[in-house]
Amino acid sequence: MGTQRKISRRQFVVSTAAVGGGMAIGIAVGGDALAAYADRNPWQLPDKAGVAEFTPWLTIGPDDIVTVRVANPDIGNGIITKHAMTVTEELECDWNKVKVEFASVNRDYLEKGIYSTGGPLSYFSGRSTAPGRQQLYLQVAASARERLKLAAAQTWNVPVGEIEAKKSVLTHRSSGRTLRYGEVASRAAAIKLDAEPKPKPESEWTFLGKASPAKIQIPLITKGAATFGMDVRQPNMLYAALLQSPVHGGKLKSHDADKIKNMPGVRGVIVVDPSEPRRPAQELKSPFPLGLSAAQHGVAVIADHYWQAKRALDALPVEWDDGPGAQWKSTEQLNKAAYDALQKEGSKIEKSRGNAVELMAKASKVVEASYLTPYCDHVTMEPMNGTCIVTGDRVDLWHPSQHTLQAMYIAAEETGLTLDKVHVHQTWVGSAFGRRVYGDDARMVVAVAKKMPGRPIQVIWSREESIRQGRFRALMAAKIKAGLGPDGLPMAWIAYASGGKGFSMRGMHDGAYATDGGVIPNVLVTSETLNTHILTGPYRGPGYNSSAFFIETFTDECALAAGIDPLEYRLRLYAKWPDEGYTKCLKEVQAKSSWGKALPKGMGQGVAISNWGMAGKPEAGTTVAAVATVEVSKKGELLIHAIDVAFDTGRIVNQDEVAAQVEGGVIYGLNMTLNEGLNVKDGRIVEGNYDEYPMLRIGDIPKKINVHFGGLSNHGRFGEIGEPPVGPIGPAVGNAIFRAIGKRLRTTPFREHDLSWS
Amino acid sequence: MAAVSFKVNGKPVSVDADPSTPMLWVLRDHLGMTGTKYGCGVAQCGTCTVHMNGDPVRSCQVPLESASGAEITTIEGLSASNNHPLQQLWSELNVAQCGYCQAGVLMAAAALLKAKPTPTDDDIDTYVNNICRCGTYPRVRDAIHKAARQLRS
Repeated sequence: MGTQRKISRRQFVVSTAAVGGGMAIGIAVGGDALAAYADRNPWQLPDKAGVAEFTPWLTIGPDDIVTVRVANPDIGNGIITKHAMTVTEELECDWNKVKVEFASVNRDYLEKGIYSTGGPLSYFSGRSTAPGRQQLYLQVAASARERLKLAAAQTWNVPVGEIEAKKSVLTHRSSGRTLRYGEVASRAAAIKLDAEPKPKPESEWTFLGKASPAKIQIPLITKGAATFGMDVRQPNMLYAALLQSPVHGGKLKSHDADKIKNMPGVRGVIVVDPSEPRRPAQELKSPFPLGLSAAQHGVAVIADHYWQAKRALDALPVEWDDGPGAQWKSTEQLNKAAYDALQKEGSKIEKSRGNAVELMAKASKVVEASYLTPYCDHVTMEPMNGTCIVTGDRVDLWHPSQHTLQAMYIAAEETGLTLDKVHVHQTWVGSAFGRRVYGDDARMVVAVAKKMPGRPIQVIWSREESIRQGRFRALMAAKIKAGLGPDGLPMAWIAYASGGKGFSMRGMHDGAYATDGGVIPNVLVTSETLNTHILTGPYRGPGYNSSAFFIETFTDECALAAGIDPLEYRLRLYAKWPDEGYTKCLKEVQAKSSWGKALPKGMGQGVAISNWGMAGKPEAGTTVAAVATVEVSKKGELLIHAIDVAFDTGRIVNQDEVAAQVEGGVIYGLNMTLNEGLNVKDGRIVEGNYDEYPMLRIGDIPKKINVHFGGLSNHGRFGEIGEPPVGPIGPAVGNAIFRAIGKRLRTTPFREHDLSWS
Repeated sequence: MAAVSFKVNGKPVSVDADPSTPMLWVLRDHLGMTGTKYGCGVAQCGTCTVHMNGDPVRSCQVPLESASGAEITTIEGLSASNNHPLQQLWSELNVAQCGYCQAGVLMAAAALLKAKPTPTDDDIDTYVNNICRCGTYPRVRDAIHKAARQLRS
């Protein structure tokens, strides 16, 4: 076994690959994996002749191929695989004959919201296990199956009860006659049922919750065939390199296009001016306010090739009027403002329950501490980009969106065209984590392309541009004070939070501690928003990814003050909470991590637990508990031996995919806690690339990331799994560090702390 | 500018472009081969990894002018029909999440297996040091070890 690289604040390992040559590998062991699949271009195209549409969500072709339309972009979380599984469960079709494509938002509009009407369906984004969406696919598939059976019964003139549907084949039981689904699809699609069939009870599922297929797009990925946003190629396409005001909200003062106009390949310089009027041709009821994607002042160079565009943009003389954002001279100034805002009750009361202030004065023991987490960028592997052609009566946008519908509204507003003329083609997405929801990237792409109408323009943000023009996880700080009762548990709890514009309080006021009926009887939670210019947006577990760090680190401090083992302390707290999943998760990681085992000085275990998605309620959202086992060398190098995780989503449908998402979530949580933090200088974001904003590499992660399933409560919900794991990882590691060396870490990233000891 | 001739996945090509153009953009924009991805442009993330004369290189750092006569292998040429053991194990072990960085990871891993048919964990840490934001690393490691076993047997 190899040894894991140690992480110290002075030395982040960046190694280079240099491998010698060797013999070519040429072993033929079969072609693409046989499974459900998607096309390299995953967006919806018009149906081919002979394909029968049962509903806008599902078609069956004469070749038996079942096409499932999906209104969630797959950002790497397995959503399309999940929907394909759901259809397969009820349709009784052959898994190898299921294809998935992304539903057309243009059609959604033209057909009055067929893909977006009602409940969770209005969201062309987010989670696949939302109850409404899962139910929809089960119903769509059950209906199609019954219509196929009826079509076979009509063909053979036999009672429908004698027909069996299995693996895309319809069989007449007594005669043994068979028909493939594709042979009767057209007839079946024309049948109208008197009543919709009821999907089978979950106890009879044979695929959902049982099988664990890999993500169906992986064969496309492994041969480099999946069309991500930047892989779109259109005839006569030009490339644009984009630069926006380095201080968010600043304005372009001047630029000298003449200086670069003769550089090779340059076709033009385009200015994006947010103050130019945008006149939507119709009322736009977008899922999110369009202002969240407001255009930024920017300049783009358009050239025949991206490298030419980038070189010319780098050479373009540009002056900016930084605007008010420049008042924030440094990170220290921002942090001080955040801490200063914690010195008194915030102007917004987020939660007030019982009598926390009075009881605090009476508490025998009071614990108080302040915490801070910085701005962070998603650093999605695929930089921001998009491809767009605008003509007089149509706009086409090929985009790696995290919210296709939002992108459509943005394109309509930006071009002034009506929604029926907007065609957004959802590409594969090179990760998102919330970055691509609000659609500022789509906005800037259209804003550039509309200035050169009639030509497809691919707008690419360099990595530096992508980071500095992020929509960040906001700076957030909190001062928490707890008055402990005779049992050592908090009887009063006061939390003042502050943050940069756009910060989220999720978890602070609506978690199991503070919510109505929560485990702490007297609570006051307030917030104060700083007057910052830095643009923010959702980032894997918005708000929660900070509040879990604050609350779970603070809980450890309370346990210490009470003289109670930190895991036992949490068990006692959650004994009062009507959701057994919390206790199950804690006990699972307690057992699986050998919690409490004797460890030498310099080693320690830490625990944390948090819930994402509960919105103030028990038996809701997803609970995740983690135990970190760490070692800190005397020089201050941190080695994480193991992370043990247990979770409660209620139930799960694809065990291996859930494990993959938890593993990735653990690593995301580690990055967020150990590494990530943007700095500000004169209003500008300092970091521009991975050398300045380091990410963990394969040798940096714990050798053991153990995902345990014993926390599952089997409650009726299917909670989501993408965002929840990022919560407890940081505090579990921080609490472990405290137990190892006695140093309490109250800010991230941990790499900025000196962990040396003697 | 004189055209630069080299081979990509065994096929001779000739590209007439700014000699400073990185191979990454030559492949993507001039040759239309988009399997090789742009991640950072500064040799940090490894997303653009291809093989040049058998060695893994970060193609964002290889100017066109240095590629004269070179043999380049990209993800599109890693195997005849998506059947390199790594490619197959990627599906079997559900390795990729978003998939964007994975072409680079696969090319780095394939080069490692050629150079060291029995790679240790340390070898993987050193040679497959690509950045994956989704955090697929545990499965990448498992797949490389399993592929090595398959290739030996």
